[in-house]
Amino acid sequence: MLLTACDSQLDLKPVDTIDASAAVSTSGDVEGLLVGAYDSMSDIDLYGGNLLRNAELLGDNGEIFWDGTFVEPDEIFRKAVLVNNASLANTWLDAYRTINIANTVLANLEVVTEANRARVEGEAKFVRGAMYFELVRNFAKAWTDGNPANNAGVPLVLTPTSEINNDSRVSRATVAAVYTQVISDLTDAESKLPATNGIFATKWAAAGMLSRVYMMQERYADAANAATRVIDSGRFSLVPSEEVFDLRTNQSGITTPEDIFSIHITDQDGINELNTFFGGTSFGGRGDILIEDAHIEMYEPGDKRAELFYEDNGLYTVKFRNQYGNVKIMRLAEMYLTRAEANFRNNSAIGATPAEDINRIRTRAGLAPIAATSLTIADIMKERRLELAFEGHLIHDIKRTRGTVGSLPYTSPKLIFPIPRREIDANPNLTQNEGYL
Amino acid sequence: MKKSGLLTLLALLLTWTVSIAQGIRVTGTVTSAEDGSSLPGVSIQVRGTTQGTQTDATGSYSISVPSSNSVLVFSFVGLGSREITVGNQTTINVQLTADTRALNEVVVTGFGAQARRNLTGNIAKIEGSSIQGVPVTTFEQALQGRAAGVQITSLNGKLGQGIQMRIRGSSSVTASNEPLYVIDGVPMTSNNQGTSTSPQNPLADINFNDIESIEILKDASAAAIYGARASNGVVLLTTKKGRSGKTRFNVGYQMGSSEPTRRREWLNTAEYVELYREAAQNSMDRGDLPANYMTSLESRFTRYAAGERANWEQGLINNNWEDHAFQKAPMGQLDLSASGGDNKTRFFVSGQYLDQKGILIKNTFKRLSGRVNLDHKANDNLTLGVNLNVARTQNGRLANDNAFSTPMQSVALPPMTPLIDPRTNQLSGNYTLYFNPILNRDYSSNISTSYRTLGNLYGEYRFTDWLKFRSEWGADLYTLNEDQYYGRETARNTGAPNGLGFSSFAQVTNYTTNNFFSLGHTFGEKHDIDGVIGTSFQRSDASYNQVEGREFPSNSYTRVTSAARITAGSSSGTNFSFLSYFARANYRFADKYLFTFSGRVDGSSRFGENNRYGFFPAVSAGWIISEESFMQALPSVSMLKLRASYGLTGNAEIGSINNFAAYGLYTGESGYAGTPGQSPSQIENPDLRWEQTAQTDVGIDFGFFGGRLSGEVDYYIKNTRDLLLNVNVPGTTGFRTQLRNIGRLENKGWEFVLNSQNTTGAFQWNTSLNLSGNRNKILDLDGQVITGGFNNRAVEGQPIGVFYEIEYAGVDPNNGDALYYLNTENTDGSVNRNTTNDPNLAQRVVLGNPNPTLIGGITNNFTYKGFELNILFQGQFGNMVYNGGGKFQSANGDFFDNQTRDQLNRWQKPGDITNVPQARLFGANGTAESSRYLQKADFVRLKTLTLGYTLPTALVNRAKLERVRVYVTGQNLLTFTNYTGWDPEVNADHLAGNIGLGNDFYSAPQARTIIVGVNLGF
Repeated sequence: MLLTACDSQLDLKPVDTIDASAAVSTSGDVEGLLVGAYDSMSDIDLYGGNLLRNAELLGDNGEIFWDGTFVEPDEIFRKAVLVNNASLANTWLDAYRTINIANTVLANLEVVTEANRARVEGEAKFVRGAMYFELVRNFAKAWTDGNPANNAGVPLVLTPTSEINNDSRVSRATVAAVYTQVISDLTDAESKLPATNGIFATKWAAAGMLSRVYMMQERYADAANAATRVIDSGRFSLVPSEEVFDLRTNQSGITTPEDIFSIHITDQDGINELNTFFGGTSFGGRGDILIEDAHIEMYEPGDKRAELFYEDNGLYTVKFRNQYGNVKIMRLAEMYLTRAEANFRNNSAIGATPAEDINRIRTRAGLAPIAATSLTIADIMKERRLELAFEGHLIHDIKRTRGTVGSLPYTSPKLIFPIPRREIDANPNLTQNEGYL
Repeated sequence: MKKSGLLTLLALLLTWTVSIAQGIRVTGTVTSAEDGSSLPGVSIQVRGTTQGTQTDATGSYSISVPSSNSVLVFSFVGLGSREITVGNQTTINVQLTADTRALNEVVVTGFGAQARRNLTGNIAKIEGSSIQGVPVTTFEQALQGRAAGVQITSLNGKLGQGIQMRIRGSSSVTASNEPLYVIDGVPMTSNNQGTSTSPQNPLADINFNDIESIEILKDASAAAIYGARASNGVVLLTTKKGRSGKTRFNVGYQMGSSEPTRRREWLNTAEYVELYREAAQNSMDRGDLPANYMTSLESRFTRYAAGERANWEQGLINNNWEDHAFQKAPMGQLDLSASGGDNKTRFFVSGQYLDQKGILIKNTFKRLSGRVNLDHKANDNLTLGVNLNVARTQNGRLANDNAFSTPMQSVALPPMTPLIDPRTNQLSGNYTLYFNPILNRDYSSNISTSYRTLGNLYGEYRFTDWLKFRSEWGADLYTLNEDQYYGRETARNTGAPNGLGFSSFAQVTNYTTNNFFSLGHTFGEKHDIDGVIGTSFQRSDASYNQVEGREFPSNSYTRVTSAARITAGSSSGTNFSFLSYFARANYRFADKYLFTFSGRVDGSSRFGENNRYGFFPAVSAGWIISEESFMQALPSVSMLKLRASYGLTGNAEIGSINNFAAYGLYTGESGYAGTPGQSPSQIENPDLRWEQTAQTDVGIDFGFFGGRLSGEVDYYIKNTRDLLLNVNVPGTTGFRTQLRNIGRLENKGWEFVLNSQNTTGAFQWNTSLNLSGNRNKILDLDGQVITGGFNNRAVEGQPIGVFYEIEYAGVDPNNGDALYYLNTENTDGSVNRNTTNDPNLAQRVVLGNPNPTLIGGITNNFTYKGFELNILFQGQFGNMVYNGGGKFQSANGDFFDNQTRDQLNRWQKPGDITNVPQARLFGANGTAESSRYLQKADFVRLKTLTLGYTLPTALVNRAKLERVRVYVTGQNLLTFTNYTGWDPEVNADHLAGNIGLGNDFYSAPQARTIIVGVNLGF
């Protein structure tokens, strides 16, 4: 009796956390878990900013200068990434953490109320599809590099982890297999997601993400069609050049009618990691990424976008000046630029002609339109670069268009991140990328 | 006459009454004649009978004798025995004369005490008196070099900072390697409760002038009574008790100041400009920088030189930034105490105020402590008492070693940057290379205040001569309040343009109760048995709150209440409990053959139902050879004892974050943009159980020449299995790590202690030496890779935390490239010792060991008349230190950090033979983590030197005083080392851990402190 009473003193319950077995039993629990997936996806090493930052640092051809002391981004900027790059390891780990949450949501859909089930499934698949897309295009060879059906992609895990055993040591699927999964998830998401969904993913976010996937695969008609679905939804519109970005300071993020999908930051929660690195020290940033003259010189006279910079002991972009501003993952201008490029390369006019789309962007920037007859692919790519500068497209655009970074060809192993060393160490079934030990 | 006759009559009457009942009951205490300390385990026999008992832990006894003619024999081997006729006495207090202090000293053993001669386990004892007055903030620092097998490392020179203690090496990879600290029977909250990654030491709340003795339980026999808490050893703190007699007052005051043990040499402006011009030119020549880069470089110099070209070009500004990291560091400490009492009640009260400044700017430490220890004998059978300590510690803290705002990082700033910007007459701000940490000196505050109540209430009831019951109820209440404010001037560091305030509150309530029976009996003169059996329960609950606010109206407002925006807040908690049953029996035959059995069953809330309880037994034996008749032929051998022990201990200290590591858990800390969310935070492991250490110890205690030369030799093997490992799992599972019981490691080592009384007479010279060697080896990790620090790692077959990195091969004389050994395996199995300039192609190898293989200390004590001189040297050998800051500080001009002067030896032209590669701005030439930044860190240190003078009693008595002593003490006066960094005793605070060992990262050196003091006794 006394002993039992004593023994019960050992039955303590955690204070801050709850037992996993009781965590996912109601529809509300699953929907809370789905929010957890967004939270995980908003991590600094994912869409909280570093995925975008890394694409700019790795693809840079002299338009920016890394002036910071953090070793990880410095390695990326110098194209001399080490296998123990902690920021990249976190990108990997947090992406798979997000995927596991999405997998758990998908495995518990039967608990979700009928009315919400399709949306919840669509959101989880959007999250999972987006994460696998980012993993495969950062940690594996580009679609345009060799044979995707033979090239190692990343491990594909589609069920939630309930225990850790030898089956947890998953090998890398091929690049093609990962792309197939991404397209399947995003297509499913597009069909199941609603047209409006608060701050969360919509049908259009999924379609926009699909357009990016198709562009990586050079499937231009599919890309133009996906972009057209977003544009034709009528839910989004271009805003004046000076209103595209959040020029307020130290205030919780807001969206504009141009935003298709953003990571929402408030002064209470979330970190805009692009502000951390691209923001000047007077605006809560570290002032690590300076804008070089080479970039400024690319703007034509009269381009309003050339004014979107500020001096703060160096030149910085205003795009991430608000410390608590949202991280824009996708906005309407990209859809026009994608469609223009896809149509041009495809010699088609799905939705609109390339000139119509490009001139929409030029006009907004205060520039004269380009005649359809004189429009070149270089014009389109330059417009894309200037409009979407520093927003996380650079290295991927270089890879899909078979460009170069300095003297490095787009297929250089130095432009592919290593599988994180800790992951290789923990999972002997993984193979390392070329050029890394 | 009349009065005494009446008393005699009364006594006779009483005696007669008692005799009728059951003979005469005699009680009393046995003390050492030398210093009045109580002697436990003294055998008391009624001559000519089989009746006997022995004294308890406090030296008290109680025995019934048949008549007033009975004679009591008090004996204690090594001391002269005494025979006393009872007569009409009912209280007989006896003093025994000691000869060899070391062998007869009483050692606290946990739930009891024993004479050292009867000990079969290994316990190091440090007298409180030997560390009194040592000018350090916390007692662990004062123990450095004083106990064999105990390695104590201050992480850096910040006051109030966490400290690492390793007793006989590291017995765990992921669970704690710190010992269990128990003060007067209460396990203490000893781990960091603050919010900073720079750990704060809760043990710094202890006024160590209150400590009577510190016992360090090292082997299994000594420690198994603490079962699952004991694998890392146990440190028992016993506070002072009052002694009956005249009330004694003591007043002590000491004051002094500190400075860094060492400074480093940095480039001046001219050297800096020269090196960086060269570095830029080299990178331009290689095509890595645009051909016009020199202009950018110069404008950068001008920017750093407060906008004035002449400041760098003509060297008008030549700022040694290291100077600004340090401050004048005075200290003062006042101690007051009083003790005394009568036969029924004894007391000790004390108070202390310590006010110290650290060597680093903004680093302060203040401690106010008060204590009351009270013991009361209610009647012959019942004793009760209380120990109560209340302390308040206020620590002006600094950011961790990795923070731009920590003072030492000022050394990174270029020498042409002035402290004060001449354009604004303010501290240099936004234009500096990095955040100027000196801004935090003027525009920030970071104060941690802890309130500590350590209390212990006990009652002890004596049932019979040989059986007692003791009940202890203790509490350790710890609250820590952190208040931080960073003004708008520090926005570059905080990211808060209008000030940032932070406040946190941690409360840890830790309750313990111990209830146990103690037995002690002597049978037939030759059989002595004593033992304890009991139970112990501990519960600890912690709760934490914190809040952060931004947007302050001005720096005059520093509390979060003035923040226009509350940007973060949280409250959280955790808890754990232990339920234990323990027993120990000591059996002594003929005062020659000693046996101890002990065991403890521990249950903990930290483990799953399957493996909640663990059993931890230990056995030991001793043979006092010198008591044998055949040893009489060797009179010079006064003591020779052989002892051996074997036992199991456990480790359950997996950290508060892992209190529920067995469960699969979800966290609600996953909201997104105002919408609540949850996510899995931990994958379950229902089989989680204790880590177990089996320890074998064999030792010899010896004494020669009547004890003038004495000591101990020990050899031990500690084998730990079922290691609690935070195992890296494939990240593709959605989890990073899982706590599992995997793997084994061992510690093997030896300890040698030698005490020698070199001279006797008026001039006395004593030497005390301790040396120990420990070799840690990880036997099995099931292939897991566990890393820490910059490149520390747990590698099978190697000591814990070895430096595992690529090997620097020096500089290519032809082109100045930094080279690395490939160290890859050739097809024939040999190692490829060719070199490469691409660090990614070099294989990582074990480069060195952060754990010393030999540690030791030697104390020489000289006294002559009133003078005493005490000199302690401490050293450690065989370990290496990795300077993680090397890639910035000594990077041959890779980035704009000011460089150590040795970088001027860079390669400049083909044929140059040097270890410093060609300077290349942004060239990463040799900056990869490698053995380039690894160094041997053996050192010997003049740890403590005290010169004291006690004034002649006759003189002092004239001033109505009993004792006046004046002294001067120096701490860390000299350091002998080849390590070129600040200080070889280092472990960067943000990385310190089980694996993170021997790292330096802008870590402040230890302080060299000199104080003068006075003690008055009256």
